[in-house]
Amino acid sequence: MPFIADDTIEADGQAVWVEVVCVLLCSTVSGVCSAPRCMNSQSGCHVVSLSDLFDRVIQHSSRMHGISNDLHAEFEHYFLPSKNQISRVGRYCHTSSILTPNGKENTQRMAEQELMEVILKLLLAWRDPLWHFHQSIAHHHDFFNFSSNKALEMSDMVHELRKGVEKVAEKMQMSGIISNSVSSRASPEASPPADSPEWRLMKVYDLLHCFRRDSNKVQNYLKILKCRIVPQHGC
Amino acid sequence: MMKSAVRVSLLLLLVFALHAKGMRYSPPGKPTLTRCRSPEKETFTCWWEPGFDGGLPTTYALFYRKENSETVYECPDYRTAGENSCFFNKNDTSIWVNYNITVVASNALGSTFSDPVDIDVVYIVKPNHPETVTVTVMEDKGWPFLRVSWEPPHKADTRSGWITLIYELRVKLEGENDWEMHLAGQQKIFNIFSLRSGGTYLVQVRCKPDHGYWSEWSTTSYIKVPDYFHHEKPMWVLITCFCAFIFLILTWLLHMNSQSLKHFILPPIPGPKIKGFDKQLLKNGKSDDIFSALVVPNFPPIAPSNCEDLLVEYLEVYIPEEQELMLEESKDLNDVCLKSEGCTSDSDSGRGSCDSHTLLMDKFREAKGEKKPRDQESNRTRTKNQRKGWGEEGSSCVHDDIPIISGGRVKTWPCVFSPLPQYSSSTLEHKSSLERAKQHCLSYSAGPPGSTSSCLDQQGQHCKETLRPGNWEFSLSNKQPHLPHSQTWWQLQAHSDLNISSIGCTRALAGLQLPALESTEYVEVQRVNEENMVLLQPVDSEQGHFEDCSQIPLGEDYSRVKGVDRDNRLLLQREVTREDRCLREDRDMYGESCHTSSVTQKPTACIHIARPEQDDMVLAVTGYVDTSTASTLPCY
Repeated sequence: MPFIADDTIEADGQAVWVEVVCVLLCSTVSGVCSAPRCMNSQSGCHVVSLSDLFDRVIQHSSRMHGISNDLHAEFEHYFLPSKNQISRVGRYCHTSSILTPNGKENTQRMAEQELMEVILKLLLAWRDPLWHFHQSIAHHHDFFNFSSNKALEMSDMVHELRKGVEKVAEKMQMSGIISNSVSSRASPEASPPADSPEWRLMKVYDLLHCFRRDSNKVQNYLKILKCRIVPQHGC
Repeated sequence: MMKSAVRVSLLLLLVFALHAKGMRYSPPGKPTLTRCRSPEKETFTCWWEPGFDGGLPTTYALFYRKENSETVYECPDYRTAGENSCFFNKNDTSIWVNYNITVVASNALGSTFSDPVDIDVVYIVKPNHPETVTVTVMEDKGWPFLRVSWEPPHKADTRSGWITLIYELRVKLEGENDWEMHLAGQQKIFNIFSLRSGGTYLVQVRCKPDHGYWSEWSTTSYIKVPDYFHHEKPMWVLITCFCAFIFLILTWLLHMNSQSLKHFILPPIPGPKIKGFDKQLLKNGKSDDIFSALVVPNFPPIAPSNCEDLLVEYLEVYIPEEQELMLEESKDLNDVCLKSEGCTSDSDSGRGSCDSHTLLMDKFREAKGEKKPRDQESNRTRTKNQRKGWGEEGSSCVHDDIPIISGGRVKTWPCVFSPLPQYSSSTLEHKSSLERAKQHCLSYSAGPPGSTSSCLDQQGQHCKETLRPGNWEFSLSNKQPHLPHSQTWWQLQAHSDLNISSIGCTRALAGLQLPALESTEYVEVQRVNEENMVLLQPVDSEQGHFEDCSQIPLGEDYSRVKGVDRDNRLLLQREVTREDRCLREDRDMYGESCHTSSVTQKPTACIHIARPEQDDMVLAVTGYVDTSTASTLPCY
C-alpha cells in the first residue's frame, strides 16, 4: 500500500518539530518560559492554533506510517517472497495490551482525553523497541541489508510524534477540552532481542508488522480527534 | 465445528455410496478466495472462486478466525454481496485486526478447504466512486474553463475523519482516445482550462483512501464548451493576408530586378574591349576579318619624302579660359620669345631657325604642363594646322578657325603667312619679303597694356629685328587710358573680321616692304574707336616713342599708309617722307591682308595701293606697308 512519504513533508515536519520541541523545552526547563510569550497572542508573535497543531501532528504521523509501510514491504519482498502472509497464531504485538478502539463507533464513542491517552501510550510503547530495532539494524547490517536510515528515521519520528501529541494534549487541556493532564508512562513490554537469527528475523518482521498497524492507529485517532475538535477544514 | 464435521462425514458416506453404485463423483475442487474489499473501512466483503464441484451439489462455507483468537466464525452473510461472497457487517468487522479466512467447498463426497487468507481491513479499502460529479462551464476574462465538482461516496465517512480520500479526475475530448489525468488531492473541486471552443468533453472522477485501492471511475459527465469569441480566426486571416501581400511584393520586386539579380548571381562574361574589334566577327569565327580591323593603316608611319614636310610645324592653338593662366602663359611665351633671341640664325629655308616655333611649342607645353592646365584647356581646340609648304605660292594664311583671342589675349597665331607671289618689288625685297613672308607670326601676344608682346618669327633673323622696332599691339597702350582696355580688346576680338592674321599679314606685308635692311616695322595699334576701327599709330623704333605721331623712318621701301578709303582700302603714299603726321584712324580697317581663311566670315579687306595723293587718311592701320607687297596685293 503506497504511502506518500515526501521529502519535503519530512523536512517540513522536522522543522515543525524543532519548533515544537523548543517550545516544550522552554516550557519545562525554565520558569521564564512557563508562560510562553505568544500565549496572549501579542502582536508580532505567531500563535500556533490547535488546528494547525493538529494538522502538523497528523502530517507527521502520516509520514511515520509511510516509512513503516515501506520498511514492512521491503522486508516482505526480501525475506518472505511468498505472497501469502504467514499466518502465525503466535504473533504477538507488545502493544496488544493497550486497549484501542477497533472501529469507528468505538473510536467515536471514546472521549478525547482517553483517545489522547491511547495515542500517547502507543507512541511511548514504541519508543524503545524502535530504538533497539535501529541498533540491531545498524550493527548487523550484513544480516539486515535494507536501509537503516529509515529505521533510524522511524525511531526518531516516534519520539518526536509523541512529543508533539503531548503538546497537543497540553493545548487541549488548556483549551478546556480535556480536564486532566495526560500521563504517559513507559510500558514494561520491551523485550531484549534474542540471539538466534531466525528469531531475530521473526522479531523484526513482527516488529515491523506491529508498528505499521500502530502508526496507522495513531494517525486515524488523531484525525478523528481533529475532526471532532476543530472540524473547520479538511474534514 | 462439530456440525460441520458431521456434515462432512455424511457427505463422504454419500459419496462412497454413490461410488459403490458405480457413479463417478468426486469431492469438490478447491475454492479460492479471490478478493476481499471494504468500501468504507467499516464493512467488508470477500469473494471466492469455486472449484470443480465434483458432479455433486457443492456448498461453500466461509470460516474466519480473528487474530489471537481460536474461535472460528462462519460468514454471517452469504447473500448480500451476491454469489460466492461473504459480507461482513459493522458488528463483525474489526479494524486493525487480522482475519484468517477460509472457504470450504463441500459436497456429498467431501469438502475441500481453500487456502487461508490473512487480511486486515485497513488495507483492503476500496471506496465507491465519487458521486454527483457536476461539470460547469465558467468564464474567466472571456476564456471559458470547466469547473468539476463532486461528492465523496456516501458510504465513506470522511466527515468524521475516519477515512481520508484523495481524488483524481480525467478529461478528454469526445472522439479522442487519450485521457488527461488530474490529481485533485483531498479537494472536491477542480478547474480545467485550455478548452477547445465548441468541443464536447468527457469528465470522470475517482478516489482512493490514503492506504487503499482506487475506486472505479465515476459515470461519465458530458459537457459542451460553447463557441466563444473567435479571437483566433480573424487574427489568422489577417496574418495570412499580410503574408500574401508581402509575398506578392517580393515577387514583384524580384521580377523587376530579375535582370540585375541575374547579373549579380551569374555575372556576364566580359567581352573584349578593343577598339575596332568586332564582336560579331569573333562570334562568326572569321579571324581574318577580326584582326583586319585592328590593323592600323599606315603604321608604322612612313617618313615623309619631303623633308620640309617634316619640318612643317604643327601649330597648336590654345584657347585657355583663365585669364591668369593666359597671362602666365604669355609671360612664358615672352620668355620663350625672348629666349629665341639667342637662337642662332639659320638660313636654311623651310626650317625654322633654332626651331623657334617648335621650341615655343615645347616651352608652351611645358608651361602648360607646369601650370597643370585644366581639362578644359587641354580639351580646347588644339588645332594643328599643317602649314602648307613654303613652296606654294600664295600660300594661304591659314589660321585657325577659332581666333586665338580668348581671354583677352592672343596667344599664338596659327597663321602662317607665306609671301604671295605678287609680292615682288625687288628681288631682294622679294627675297626678303619672301623670307619675311615665311615668317609667320607665331604669336601675337597682346596682353593688357603695358605688357610687352613680341612676335616670333619663323626665322630667327627677324627675331631680333622684329622685336626692336616695335610690336603690334593690339591692345591699347597705356597712353590711351580713356578707353577701357579690355573692352576695346574684346571689341577687337568680337569683330573677328579684324582678323589678326590679316594684321599679321599686314605686318608681314609691312615687313616685306622693308628695305634690304630686312627689318620689319610694326604698327602699333593705338586704339580702337567706338566705330570699331583700329587706330594704329606708327611706331618709331628709333624713337621708341609711341605717341600719336609716328615717325616715319627714312626709307624708300616704306610706303606710308595714307589712309583707308571707304572701301576699306589702304591708301599708301609712295613717297616716303618723314612727316610728322599723326595717323589717325577713324575707321576700322579690315586689314585682312590678302587672303582669308575660310573661317573668317567677314568680308576681307583688300589692301591695295591707293592713290598716293589721297590725304584722306583714314587709316585703320598705320604703318608701313611694303610697297612690293602692296603693289601686288590682290584683292579678294
